[in-house]
Parts: sequence; C-alpha cells; structure tokens
Amino acid sequence: MTLKIQNVSKRYHGSTYGLKDFSMTIEKGILGLLGPNGAGKSSLLKMIATVSKPTSGCILLNKNNIVKDANYMRKQLGFLPQDFGVYPNLNAFEFLEYMAALKGVGGKQLNARITGLLEGLNLMDAARKPLGSYSGGMKQRVGIAQALLNEPKVIVFDEPTVGLDPEERVRFRNLISELAHDCIVVLSSHIVSDIDTIADQVAVMKNGSLLTKGGQDAITALVAGKVFETTLDRDQLSVFKTDYLVVGTTRKEAATKVRYIAEKPISGSLQQQANLEDAYLFLTKTK
Amino acid sequence: MPLFFSIVKADYLQRTRTYAFLITLCATLAIAYTFVPPQNAGYSTIRIAGHVGYYNSAWFGYVTAIMTSIFLSLVGFYLVNNSIKTDTRTKVGYIVAAAPISNFRYLMAKTISNFLVLCTLLLTVLLMSIILFFLYNDGYSLNLSAFLKPYVLIPIPALFVVSVLAMIFEVILGKYAMLQNGIYFFLFSALLVSPSKDEIQFALDVFGSKVVMHEMVETVQGILQTEADIDMSIGYVIGTTESNQKFHFTGVDFSTTFIISRLLWLLCSIGIVVVSAPFFHRFDTKEKARLKKKIPKIEIQKPTKDILLSSLPAIRQNFAILPLIKTELLLLIRKGKRWLWLLNSIGMFLLALLPLQIAHQFVLPMLWFLQVGRLSQLTTKEADHNVHYFAFTSYRPIRRALFSQMAAGMVFVFVLASPLLIRIAIAKPFETLLIVFLAGVFIVVFAGFLGIISKGKKLFEVSFFMLTYTALNGLSFADYYGSQPHGPLYITILLMIVLLLGCSCFLIRRYHLKAM
Repeated sequence: MTLKIQNVSKRYHGSTYGLKDFSMTIEKGILGLLGPNGAGKSSLLKMIATVSKPTSGCILLNKNNIVKDANYMRKQLGFLPQDFGVYPNLNAFEFLEYMAALKGVGGKQLNARITGLLEGLNLMDAARKPLGSYSGGMKQRVGIAQALLNEPKVIVFDEPTVGLDPEERVRFRNLISELAHDCIVVLSSHIVSDIDTIADQVAVMKNGSLLTKGGQDAITALVAGKVFETTLDRDQLSVFKTDYLVVGTTRKEAATKVRYIAEKPISGSLQQQANLEDAYLFLTKTK
Repeated sequence: MPLFFSIVKADYLQRTRTYAFLITLCATLAIAYTFVPPQNAGYSTIRIAGHVGYYNSAWFGYVTAIMTSIFLSLVGFYLVNNSIKTDTRTKVGYIVAAAPISNFRYLMAKTISNFLVLCTLLLTVLLMSIILFFLYNDGYSLNLSAFLKPYVLIPIPALFVVSVLAMIFEVILGKYAMLQNGIYFFLFSALLVSPSKDEIQFALDVFGSKVVMHEMVETVQGILQTEADIDMSIGYVIGTTESNQKFHFTGVDFSTTFIISRLLWLLCSIGIVVVSAPFFHRFDTKEKARLKKKIPKIEIQKPTKDILLSSLPAIRQNFAILPLIKTELLLLIRKGKRWLWLLNSIGMFLLALLPLQIAHQFVLPMLWFLQVGRLSQLTTKEADHNVHYFAFTSYRPIRRALFSQMAAGMVFVFVLASPLLIRIAIAKPFETLLIVFLAGVFIVVFAGFLGIISKGKKLFEVSFFMLTYTALNGLSFADYYGSQPHGPLYITILLMIVLLLGCSCFLIRRYHLKAM
C-alpha cells in the first residue's frame, strides 16, 4: 500500500499558497507530520482525506488518483479532523451508526464493532447519553472511534491528542501502534513527544513545503553534536538569543539553564544528547 | 469607547459579509421595486378610495418610506435577532465576557450594529426608489428634501426600536427562538392595527406611518368633499388600477409633538437597554442552566484495558440509504424544544377534525411553519455542528447524504400532514392530493436550497415566514399548498419550481464540494 503525493499545490487567494509543489511518498506505518502553525499540515491532511482538492498535482493511492476518484479513498479512509463537532442530540451509539452509514459500512456485526470501540475507548457507560453532555476529551474519543469504524487502510489524524488526558494519550499511542501493522497512518501534531514515541517516519513542514522526511534517527542526526547546555544570568539571555538558537530554558532563581544549538559552543557549555525536538526547532527556525 | 466601536464595526462587517445578507439585500431590492407600482401595473400598494397620488417626490418618498418602515420592521427583526446568539456560537462571547466592557455598552453596541444592518437595507430601498422615480414620475422633477424627510422621521426611528427589541428579546428569551418570533409577530400585528386618529395616537405609533395615511385620507376626503370614512388599502392589492383617480400629494407637515415623539421613542429604547442590561447572561449560559436544572453527571470508569482492534468483529460494505434517513429523521424529531411537539400534536389533531377547507387553508401552513427551526437546518447542520468533514468525505456525499436529508425532510412533513392527506385522498380529487404532496416537497427543497446557497438558516426562516404570512392573507401567488382555486398551469408551475430548486440543491452542493 502506497500513498504518493506528487507536485501538489493548494492556492487560496491570489498568490497565497497553503501548499506549494509538495511531493512525498508514504508507505505502510506511521508518518508523523511536524510543523509550525501555517506550515500547511492541515491543508495536506484535508487533501489526503479528500475534504479539499489540490489546485494542481495529484495524490495516488495504490496508483489510483484520488483527486479524480475520491470515493476510492473514502471507502478505506479513517479521518479525524482537527476541529470536528458532533450532533448534540444524538448519543454516541447513534452517532457512530450514522457515521457507519455515511461511510457505507454496516451489516450484522456493526453493533458489536461499535460496542467494542466504545468499550475500548472507555465510553460505554456514556454511550446512550446525548453527545451534547460530553466533555471535550470524550468527544475526541468519539472522533477516534468514528475514524476506526470502517476498518480503514488509510488513517489521517489531525492533532488527535487535543483534549486527552495523559493516560488517554498513552492509550491512544498504543492504539496507533497497533494500527500501523497494516495501515498507513498519517499523524500531525504540534507536540513532538506525541510523534517521537511512535512514528516510523517523520516529515517536517514549513510554509507549505517539505523541509525533510526520514526516520527519527536520520532527522535527529542533523543536530548531533550541536546541542549544548549552559547556565546564564537572566539579563544575558536576551543577548544570547540573538546569537544562538535557544531550544529550551529552565529558570532557577536568578540563573537560567539554557539548551541551545550551535556549531561552536560558548565556554562552560556541556554537550547534550540531541533529540527530535532539537532537530525540529533547528529545521523550522533556521531554514 | 474604542472597544465599543470595535464591537459595532466587527459585528456589522461580520453580518454584512455573509451570503444571507447579500441575498436579503437582493430580495429587498426586488421588493423595493414593487413599492411604487408602474403606471399600469395590475396591483397597488397604497390606494385611498380609488385614488393614488401623482408620482411626484413626496408621493414616492412617503409611500416607499411607509412601506419600508412596515416591511423592515417585520422582516428586519427576524434578520437581526441573532447577534448575541452568533457570539455564543462562535465563542467570541467568552472573549467579550472577559473584556472590560459593561453589559450596557455591549448591548448598545449590538443594538447599533443591528440598526446599521437595517439602515443599509433602508439605504438600498431609498436608492432604488430614487431610480424608480426617474423612470415612473409624472413629469415632476426630483425634490430631494421631500423625498428624504419621511425617511428621517418614519423608518429610521422605527428601525432603531426594532433593533432594540431584537436585542432585548435575545437577552430575555435567550434560547427560546420560537417564542421570540411568535411574541414579536403578535406585537407587530397589534401595533399595526392599533387605532390612530389624534395627535397622541400618532405619537404612539412606532412605525410612524399612520400620521401619513391620515393626511392622505384627509386630502382625498377634501377632493371628494366628504367627512365620511373612506376606504384605504395598504399592502399589495391585486387588481387593475387603471380606474384610479390621481390626486396631488405634497407631503405631511409633521407636528412638533410627532417629531418629539420620534425622539422619545429613541430615548425610551435606550432606556430599555439600560433596564435590561443587568439581566444579560454575559455568556455564562451553561452556569445559569446548571443552577436551574441539575444535569446528571456522566461518570466514567477508569480505563482498565487497551483497545485491541484485531479482536473487533469485521464489518461489510453496506451502501443502504435507510440508516442515513433514519438518523436524519431522528435529528429532525429531536431538534427544538419538546413542548413544540404538543403544538404539533394539536395541529395534527386539528387537521383531522376541522372542516377540510379550514384545515387545508390555515392549519396546514401554520403546522408546517412551526417546523421552520427544524427545516432551516436541514442542509446546514453539518457546518453548524462542524460535522461537515465527516459528511463531505463520506461515500457519495451528494447521492447519499444530501438525498437522505431531503428524503427525511419529506417524510417528516408528510407525517405531520398525514391526517389531512388521508382526508383529501378520500374526499377530494387526486389533483388536490398531488398539490399538497408537491407542497410538502416544495418546502423541503426550498429549505435545502436556501440553506445551501446562504450557508445559514436565517434566509429560509425569513423567507418561509413571509411566504406563510402572505399565503395566510389569501394572496394567491403565495398559495403554494393549493388552498385556493388556480388555473390549469398551477401544478405544472409548482412541479417546475420543485424540480428547479431540487436540481439546484444538488448542483450547488456539488459545486461547493468541488471548490473546497
């Protein structure tokens, strides 16, 4: 199973592009999509999910152009948008039945599958209560359940952990790991830790373009040997920031412990183990 | 003060940049075109004992000002009575609630914004009237002061009061949109028919139209040399106007009392805003609801096991449309307050028991109009509830999702009309049954069409209200449900309209999906 994005552009107004000449190939497994606000992550995911169409270029799923034949993708898609809603007058069970009908799936096993998903997502107790009475986290889990209803082969999650508490996030990550065995999972997040624990591949985007794509180790290697830590006085910090890329600070009384990226460290600095977040900040701040 | 003006500006721009406003503007233009009929038109708007005025600036100014005052006082209320609701829906209200602005200032800003929206429509009517004046005038030149004077003293104060009322109704009646609409309609009707014979009663006439009509009547009484009551019709009266006599109308010399009364109406309206300010919920609606009624808290047990997808039963493809129709019906039935179902039951009961003609002519349109809140969301609820990402990425979203919405809407209106349909099937020719059937289809596709083009529910609500109102008043062109005798082409025209609207729904939705 392969998803190929070929020279895709999305133009909004005049010369404003959400995505510009973007190409990427996604194989089975989990692809983590990282990028600052406005990088084009949601635009890309909406085009993969057939919500919107590219201005130019094509998206091929197993050699089928889904820009022309959206239903080919829709039959095997599970999509969790960033800002979705629910019908407040339906309960979770009815809503999922409705989603199943929209996706064109059903049969005798549908109720059992919905029950299984609701149990697994810890919503069974509230399954017959109107969705209008659900908390944000519960609605998010209903969203996850609908994405998994139709045994999807391509799963697109846009900021899926918003509203989930730490325990639910761990369960969600486990769930995605299981999905990755025979599906393409595309997962976007602002939170690097959501991605670095599970993603097989990571793509970093900025201003509608792909900065890099590869395994976590390969991306982290971009800043290997360049991450340092030092302690500065508070008043030195603003000057320091103009000369070095600061990726983290920890305040301790009058002093501040600073994690930064540099080719040559200042004296008194200690070299640190580079991680994905360092590489992400390095890529998005310097390129 | 800058925050005050920012709210006014933002609210005004937000409203006037919607499709619904654009369409309302176009509709207002179309209606304004009819306020002063062409010389040999088959209808009249203001006629006094077979007399109409010469088409000079005063006649044009006063007639269009009166008609606009009445028209916008009714339609305008329904157009603007959602400003607080919009802030609640968009969650901008939370930001406003936390901003250093008093309730009074916020409500006043909303009132001014309401007023500006209505004034924009008023300005459109004025410009249209001036253009029409140049086309229709009886050889008179344009006298701008005679044209503008009635606009300043008649619709402008009236629209300010309407803006305040729309806002106050939102503050006091909050979520009860149906009640707001109903109460305002009765208030409007009562004010319109209240007697106005003397100076005090003219001052109390919020629409400011009666003093003008009185002046017109007196002028014609002078021509006819009579003091007896003479007929005066205001509104659309169908019938030839060729036999109308013309009289010279120079306008009204408004008394000081009347002018002061307009100022007092403005001041009283501001006073009402002051009084209502403490009752404004300031977007703490959930808290207030919680105090009134204890919502059972959903207890969730802590997770004990991870979900194992491979253990879940496999499902098969099923493109049946019935489950979609079932859910769409559920959504229609559960929408709105439960007590409205009591009214629906009474309506169905009356359809079964009242004489057939009354049930058909009056009860059916009113019962269908009661569903306006449900039908107006037929094709907009995905976007309203942010479910459109799911609905629009579903398998064949037009052929299945949109079709099921329409089908559910039709099932819903037919079930409501079922007592009447059965009686008509038994007692009337098949043609009548077909007309009522087509009428049911018509209101559903009409709701769907206006929802899709305006991307909101307001346009349908206002249009359906106007349609029902004019139909109940016996105007045959608005009789979409065949309660009056019609020519042989009636069914064909109705069918064509239904087909046109239906096809437009599918084509426009398809275009929207492609353009996403």
